[in-house]
Amino acid sequence: MNVESLSERGARARRDEEVDVAIVGAGPSGSVAALHLARAGLSVVVLEQGEWPEYNDYTGARPEHELVSTKLWHPNPNVRDNPNDYPVDNSTTDINPLMFAGVGGSATLYGAQWMHFLPSDFRVRSLDGVAEDWPFSYEDLLPYQLEIEREVGVSGLAGDPAFPPRGPYPFPALPIGSVGLRGALGMERMGWHWWPGSNAIPSEKFGELNACVRRGTCLTGCPEGAKSTTDRSHWPLALKAGARLVTRARVKEVETNEQGLATGVVYVDANGRDRRQRAKVVILCANGVGTPRLLLMSGGAKNPDGLANSSGMVGKRLMMHPFASILASYEDPLDSWRGPFGQQVYSLEFYETDERRGFVRGSKWNCMPSGGPVGVSGAIGSKVYVAEEGRFQDFWGANLHENVARRFGHSLIWGIVGEDLPEESNQVVLSKDLVDSDGLPAPQIVYKVNENSNRLLQFNIDRCLESVHAAGAIETLVSTPVRESGWHLIGTTVMGADPKRSVVDQWGACHDVPNLYIMDASTFPTSGATNPTATIMAVALRNTRRMIAERRNQKVA
Amino acid sequence: MSKDKTFLALADFLIPAHGDMPAFGSVCSFADAEKALDFRVDLKEGFDRGLDGDPALSAEAHLERLNKEDGAAFSAVTTIAICTYYMNPRVRELLGYPGQESVQYDSKATQVYLTDGSLGHVLARGRKYRPTPGL
Repeated sequence: MNVESLSERGARARRDEEVDVAIVGAGPSGSVAALHLARAGLSVVVLEQGEWPEYNDYTGARPEHELVSTKLWHPNPNVRDNPNDYPVDNSTTDINPLMFAGVGGSATLYGAQWMHFLPSDFRVRSLDGVAEDWPFSYEDLLPYQLEIEREVGVSGLAGDPAFPPRGPYPFPALPIGSVGLRGALGMERMGWHWWPGSNAIPSEKFGELNACVRRGTCLTGCPEGAKSTTDRSHWPLALKAGARLVTRARVKEVETNEQGLATGVVYVDANGRDRRQRAKVVILCANGVGTPRLLLMSGGAKNPDGLANSSGMVGKRLMMHPFASILASYEDPLDSWRGPFGQQVYSLEFYETDERRGFVRGSKWNCMPSGGPVGVSGAIGSKVYVAEEGRFQDFWGANLHENVARRFGHSLIWGIVGEDLPEESNQVVLSKDLVDSDGLPAPQIVYKVNENSNRLLQFNIDRCLESVHAAGAIETLVSTPVRESGWHLIGTTVMGADPKRSVVDQWGACHDVPNLYIMDASTFPTSGATNPTATIMAVALRNTRRMIAERRNQKVA
Repeated sequence: MSKDKTFLALADFLIPAHGDMPAFGSVCSFADAEKALDFRVDLKEGFDRGLDGDPALSAEAHLERLNKEDGAAFSAVTTIAICTYYMNPRVRELLGYPGQESVQYDSKATQVYLTDGSLGHVLARGRKYRPTPGL
């Protein structure tokens, strides 16, 4: 019996059955919560609006990959146009949010870069005088980080001097290839920090995960079943532990009683019918856009501004990590279609604040392969390197052949992730006219890249160009800020001790609704500059452990 | 002009022979483009629209008009042309592209950066992070 058929056995709760915990979303955080709650003996139902991934649909190993993936596996739901996703109103944002609905969540289309936040990320007010400190520290979270790494099957090399000392990763680092070596060469010549990439991709077989074969198509679904997503890392174990998973279940409302306690959720099932799932505790794990959207759709007449929103902070402080990329081409062959895609090496040289640079906080760089000939041509696809005002002839004819000859197999990409500072004007609201396939209001993103981010990105682009030229680059192409880059959706239900200024406490419990929890990156007070999935899963584990330990004291309806 | 002739004329303008690389029409047919289009049914409408037009126009003028007046059609025609071309086995052979291949490796092999001193230089440059205040 495979995992999917196991999941179909009695997934939906009996009519009017009240479960201990209903979880909204089967992505990284919801999967962690489901596994550990089920193992602790609690009855758990997870409601996921998407479906199980079908690995045969991942085209990475087939010739048509570049043609198909730019539509079917595009990270922007508006481009993908899959009815299981909800559309997003992007008319008022500089950066488009990227996400995927399905078991495994948006990680289905992530690069699997596996990075902890750094100690300073938890103390930005104390160290840099901006935003707020987190209620807990790097050291508080580290044990959960290390435990999650073992569950996920991370490959990496310990000893990076950009982090406090830590134990070894579960698996040896993946080969960094010619791309990683060339990226490292540039950093070496500048005397700057670099380190072999840590990735949520095991270099050896691990449970349901196969060893990475460097297929290089991580961002569009791994056809090898090697990239760690929770449909393979967590759900086989969670289902065996008794957790139930209902797919194509789009939650439209969190219900509460007269006392203001959560009583469950209402969802639209695969047949378009409304169903109710009663629960003693509800956990939202629907990402930094989906979670505030659901709270804003809930609340009814008693809470016209949305549920759990007495602070007015639901949806506000959206952070998306403004992103720049530099494609650098070299004379030498780099086999630059080979993976891993996410990061063969990374750099934290400019992570920490240096106010002489004219901005606060910093950046993380990851060195990636540049992929197949269509992508590097610049002629179609992401268009990140194509000037809108450019003539089409610049990318076709003899120019096409020359661009491809210069770049294909000879280039790398440095991606620059900039820390995004929280601003209340950057927010998720409900669209007044756009709806999803069930007629529910779509989220609208109101977001501007701020001046600190613009300065940060320009400084880092200038440094990156120095590095790639030091390694012999013969051509460079810069894109900033990349519009299709909102992979990291952070901050929209901020955690804190003050109910007037925050939505949840340090354990993810809503101040207004004590049996309603949020366990995705919505709760992060600040964004750091590293890829957040490791921290999302570690925080979810920390919260879940606390919930289990305190279950007898949990206030319920 | 028939749709297949129109497409091949446009594709040969977009992807002419150059150096060792053949023109689109030397290695790909309209049937190849139609097979590619089957992978992207979302492009079919724009593709068909993109092949309509004044037969007296040159390929460049036809594409110029599409680019200005019907971006979706321009995108459909050019996407199918370039993807069909770079899916072609002969073109891939000339480029030295095996596709997104599976690469075997020894996960326990000692990586070159551990023996050539480069990672040692990173370590020698010392700690980069700022510790948690008060610890």
